Amino acid sequence: MSTVSSTEYDPVLIAILQRQLDHISLQMGTIMIRTARSPIFSQSHDFSCFLSNADGETIAQADGLPIHSGSGGFAVRAVLRDFAGRIEPEDVFILSDPYAAGGNHLPDWTLIRPVFVDGELIGFCSNRAHQSDIGGGAAGTYNAKATEIFHEGIRLPVLKLIEKGQLRDDLWRLLLLNSRCPDLLEGDLGAMIGSTRIGAQRLADIVGQLGVKKGNAYLDALLDYGERRMRQAISELPSGTWEGSDVSDTDCFKIVDVETRVKLTIDGDTMTFDFAGTSPQIRGFKNSGIANTHSAVYCALSAFLDPDIPHNEGTYRCVKIIAPEGTTVNALAPAPMTMNTVYPAIDIMNACWGALAQADPERACAGWGKSVFGISSGKKPSGGVFVLYHWHGSSGGGAVKGRDGFPTTSHQMTLGGMFIPNIETYEQSYPMRVHRYQMRSDTGGAGQYRGGTGVDYVVDVLAGGEHLLRGEGARKPTGAGVNGGQWGAKGSIKAFDLGSGEELACPPYGVEEVEPLHLVIEASAGGGWGHPHLRDPDAVLRDVRDGVVSRQSALQTYGVEISADGKSVASTETRGKSLAATPHVQ
Amino acid sequence: MLVSPYRVGVDIGGTFTDLVMVDARGAVRAFKAPSVPSDPTEGVLSAVRLAAETLSIDVGTFLSNTELFVHGSTIATNTLLEKKGAKVGLLVTEGFRDSLEIRRSIRENVWDHRKPFPEVLVPRYLRLPVTERIEHDGTVRIPFDPKSVAAAARVFAEEGVEAVAICFLHSYANPEHERAAKAELKKHLPDVWVTASSEISPTIGEYERTSTTVVNAYVSRRVVPYLESLAARLASLGLPRKLLMIQSNGGAISIDEIGYAPASLVLSGPAAGVGSLKFFGEDTGSEHLISIEVGGTSCDVTLMQHGMVSMTDQIVVDGYHLNIPSVDIYTVGAGGGTIASVDGAGLLKAGPEGAGSTPGPACYGRGGERPTVTDAQLVLGRLKPGPYAGGAITLSLEKAVEAIETHIARPLGLSVTDAAAGIIQLVEQNILHAVERASLEKGYNPRTFTLVAAGGAGPLHGPSTARLLGSPSLYIPRLAGVFCAFGMCNSDLRHDFVRSWLKDLDKTAISGPGQLEGAFEAMQAEALEVLAREGFTGSKAQLRRAYDLRYFGQQWTIAVENSSTDASTIRAAFEQAYQRLFGYVQPSGAIEIVNLRLAAIGKLDALDLAKVPPRVSDPVAHSRRPVWIDKKVGFVDTPVYDGTVLTSHQQLVGPAIIEEATTTLILGMGDKLTMTDASNYHVDIAHGEAA
Repeated sequence: MSTVSSTEYDPVLIAILQRQLDHISLQMGTIMIRTARSPIFSQSHDFSCFLSNADGETIAQADGLPIHSGSGGFAVRAVLRDFAGRIEPEDVFILSDPYAAGGNHLPDWTLIRPVFVDGELIGFCSNRAHQSDIGGGAAGTYNAKATEIFHEGIRLPVLKLIEKGQLRDDLWRLLLLNSRCPDLLEGDLGAMIGSTRIGAQRLADIVGQLGVKKGNAYLDALLDYGERRMRQAISELPSGTWEGSDVSDTDCFKIVDVETRVKLTIDGDTMTFDFAGTSPQIRGFKNSGIANTHSAVYCALSAFLDPDIPHNEGTYRCVKIIAPEGTTVNALAPAPMTMNTVYPAIDIMNACWGALAQADPERACAGWGKSVFGISSGKKPSGGVFVLYHWHGSSGGGAVKGRDGFPTTSHQMTLGGMFIPNIETYEQSYPMRVHRYQMRSDTGGAGQYRGGTGVDYVVDVLAGGEHLLRGEGARKPTGAGVNGGQWGAKGSIKAFDLGSGEELACPPYGVEEVEPLHLVIEASAGGGWGHPHLRDPDAVLRDVRDGVVSRQSALQTYGVEISADGKSVASTETRGKSLAATPHVQ
Repeated sequence: MLVSPYRVGVDIGGTFTDLVMVDARGAVRAFKAPSVPSDPTEGVLSAVRLAAETLSIDVGTFLSNTELFVHGSTIATNTLLEKKGAKVGLLVTEGFRDSLEIRRSIRENVWDHRKPFPEVLVPRYLRLPVTERIEHDGTVRIPFDPKSVAAAARVFAEEGVEAVAICFLHSYANPEHERAAKAELKKHLPDVWVTASSEISPTIGEYERTSTTVVNAYVSRRVVPYLESLAARLASLGLPRKLLMIQSNGGAISIDEIGYAPASLVLSGPAAGVGSLKFFGEDTGSEHLISIEVGGTSCDVTLMQHGMVSMTDQIVVDGYHLNIPSVDIYTVGAGGGTIASVDGAGLLKAGPEGAGSTPGPACYGRGGERPTVTDAQLVLGRLKPGPYAGGAITLSLEKAVEAIETHIARPLGLSVTDAAAGIIQLVEQNILHAVERASLEKGYNPRTFTLVAAGGAGPLHGPSTARLLGSPSLYIPRLAGVFCAFGMCNSDLRHDFVRSWLKDLDKTAISGPGQLEGAFEAMQAEALEVLAREGFTGSKAQLRRAYDLRYFGQQWTIAVENSSTDASTIRAAFEQAYQRLFGYVQPSGAIEIVNLRLAAIGKLDALDLAKVPPRVSDPVAHSRRPVWIDKKVGFVDTPVYDGTVLTSHQQLVGPAIIEEATTTLILGMGDKLTMTDASNYHVDIAHGEAA
């Protein structure tokens, strides 16, 4: 903690400053959305904006994807390390490499703009965003065949993209030359540059008004405040040690168990997540680096605790992460790792949630289904390259106390932060035709609060090209139930040649050359919270009427007999006996 | 003595129903009657009775002398907030039943993932499939099958469905199937209210379009009968002309024309502020205004540039998405009733919780114990303890001090004064951010705008917000407390038309602008017909064309008002707007037209308020009291003026407190007040040393 006690600060000014910095971050996000060209930015919000102090500690990231949060500091500190003494006003840095430059994975490019007041470096204004294409072995950034990071696209160490206000044309050309979609890349980088420019101006104004010395002290005070909030939240949990784990069943090439294990120790107002026992790094691209592992832990912890604890790095001071080198949570170069923001990020979250659920069952978060969908890419009949993420095949979310799981939602590590596009917009933009997109039945993990159902998604991809498979949720259930709640159903993916109707092989991972394709996807479902017999019988009735729970399941799983006309609850008699034996959560 | 004919505006709020009338010579009267939430018609009538009584005439005479009766109501919004809408059935394209419930998985705050989505307005068992499918280019892939509608109608009848929404995929490109389904449904369920998405929101994006259509059906049950009964009552009492309603777009429309789109009333109340802004634009001498209207629960920010109010067609009400042309009102939870608190780690917060009208602020003595912004204003001497609003409320200083002491001062180790001042500072920060979002994010520099402070609680925040923004001047209408009701007396009629287009701008040029012109002319024919029905023809019927444009590949459009169909002219207008918003353009970028828009406007004769004879004498304070002015000077013995005796051209230099009938004003150190020609308040803000 800072040596100056909080009582020396004006508490009103701290409150105002916190809001001002969040406001800047949100404003940067708005600029990104409105100026970017690729749908990954503008539609799916796959980016984050953050502000740091002069030491690189993140002080505000109000606009951000949860899985980006918590790793920005590694990138800014890489700039401080590589350019010590050579950071000038009007410079902008760019980086991506998870081994060399504090990146999380190669497709996420981070732009970092130092902020100066009266000639003194007072902080950084940055954003991190997923690019449409960065070269490498597959269009669209995800090369499922990669066995080394060299197969995954261009690697960016810390580079000066703009030097004292001058864009480095040579570097710019190099970046564009290494992308299959240089026009999208150019537009999106432009959006990122513009967003950091405005954020930096505003941060400089605020600190300038306070004066450098006082301004810096107040930025630190915000970190101290974050630390106090986190310590307080941790100290409300019981001290002790709990274990959690999650298992993935492929290394991207063969079916094999890959385990993420964590031991959580809570000691007063501190917490340690120790990943000893996690599987060695794997051949495929589901390895995590240290920055991404920090993000995944942070994501699990923040989602578990009170949502208004500020998301700054002060909160990290009382959370220790031990990630043994050479494992999937801290792989050594040159292991491939593009998939890491999804897998093993979700496995890490699940392991942490599993341990945390034991510490405080009331707060337990049931698992979200792992997604089975992939990415189609190719040439549009009208010319031009397309990269089509099948977001409509997204899985159901897990339940928590007080609400059912979301029916279908972006990956767990975004906590629903990426929006699913409208089908109409997609059909206007891509060579595709959707036949079916609606909720599944008898899939959401049964519970007092039910898991999200997942969807049936049936689509024709009307142009040939490549199809990337990366399904995780297709072979076994993945959305864990908690506190007596059941697991969500597994998903499936089937592919057919659109012309002949012939079924095609769907390996667990890989990139297939394909003709126009007919895909039939069952999205996996989320887990339930609490025993199904504790579910409000009227909620069960509604589920039956809605067709998301069958009458049979209502009776057998939920202990609710539905009347013959299907419109009322006939009986809940079968519940009595089993309820007594149910471990009831207080 | 007032001279007929009158214009009358009636705005129903949570606590009061405001009525403003303007007579033929431009004399203005304002009235506040208690609202009757259980029977809003009665609320309107009681305001009318109060006005007639005060004028010593009977209600019949009052109404029969009224040439324009304009009404704004939150009934549509309240129906949504209180979940008192119709039992709605939804017809969807087979295979796509759940768009409404999936909601594109849009989470407002991802970190707060425990918060459930708002209740889905149509349960899945009433979202029924229709066999049909239209492609993205409008061609039919699966023909419409009326049998599936008949089957759905049977379920709707059995379930007692009161209103039906229809939304099929790509109906913006081809509405035929929706029309056929509506006709078929009407055959089976002649008494059920039916609305189709292509009628109310024919734009791309099935989730938002479905949601809009469902909300339309949902609110119809309360809104449509209310409008009908109110119109009938007013007519039977003598109102000679049609009742007009303010829509979310800020324009008025007769209830005959609004009947099919009750959802377009969701911003009916606050959008009427536009009429006031337009009016005061002249008196302020500026065409560039930003208004902050602060009431009990929230602050609404609206921006007007070159006399044109900023518009949007995407709004969210209580978590429900609506695509309807609306005044772009940015709302934050910063009102008089906003609650202040300190969290477990010692951070001061203002909002988002509010105390509402019951129990209200602690100082109301109605059981509220938590400190609010109003309590802080009272502690700082800006409001005076004692009876308010004719004795309806009595403000207790002791209760305000106790609440702030207990919940803020002690936990933070501050004096009660510093705690109260901190609350005000924080809430003003929230107002500032709202103003910035409404301006900076749209590429406007707020410093070049005149800030207008309105609403009962707005003027007390005006000077410091203007100072934080760096605005040179502030304007406060004398009618600040009835801002929207007054705006209703100055609202043109307006009806918006939109048509999905989805074509390359440059290819439009190649195929000849005739096609585009033809599309606009078809819309114009319909628009002129509507205006003629409302009694507006010739120069009083105005049409304004606009395009929703974007660079190819982008998902967001920019609305560009332009009457041309020439591609290079449209491109230039788009690039100008784009440059302002985002700071760069793509000189060779392909531009896509997404929608064509047409605003049909029926121009009312301009209001001309009676001029007040100027006076040069110095105003005289009626009392003095200690008032906390700012952080630097703290409490100052401050003169207090009665606003009703201040008149045109008189001047004052702050510090000062001015008490008006519907609001209270403050002037900070050195702020210079000049009463305008129309006897409103213009303040030159003192920048510099004031903290």
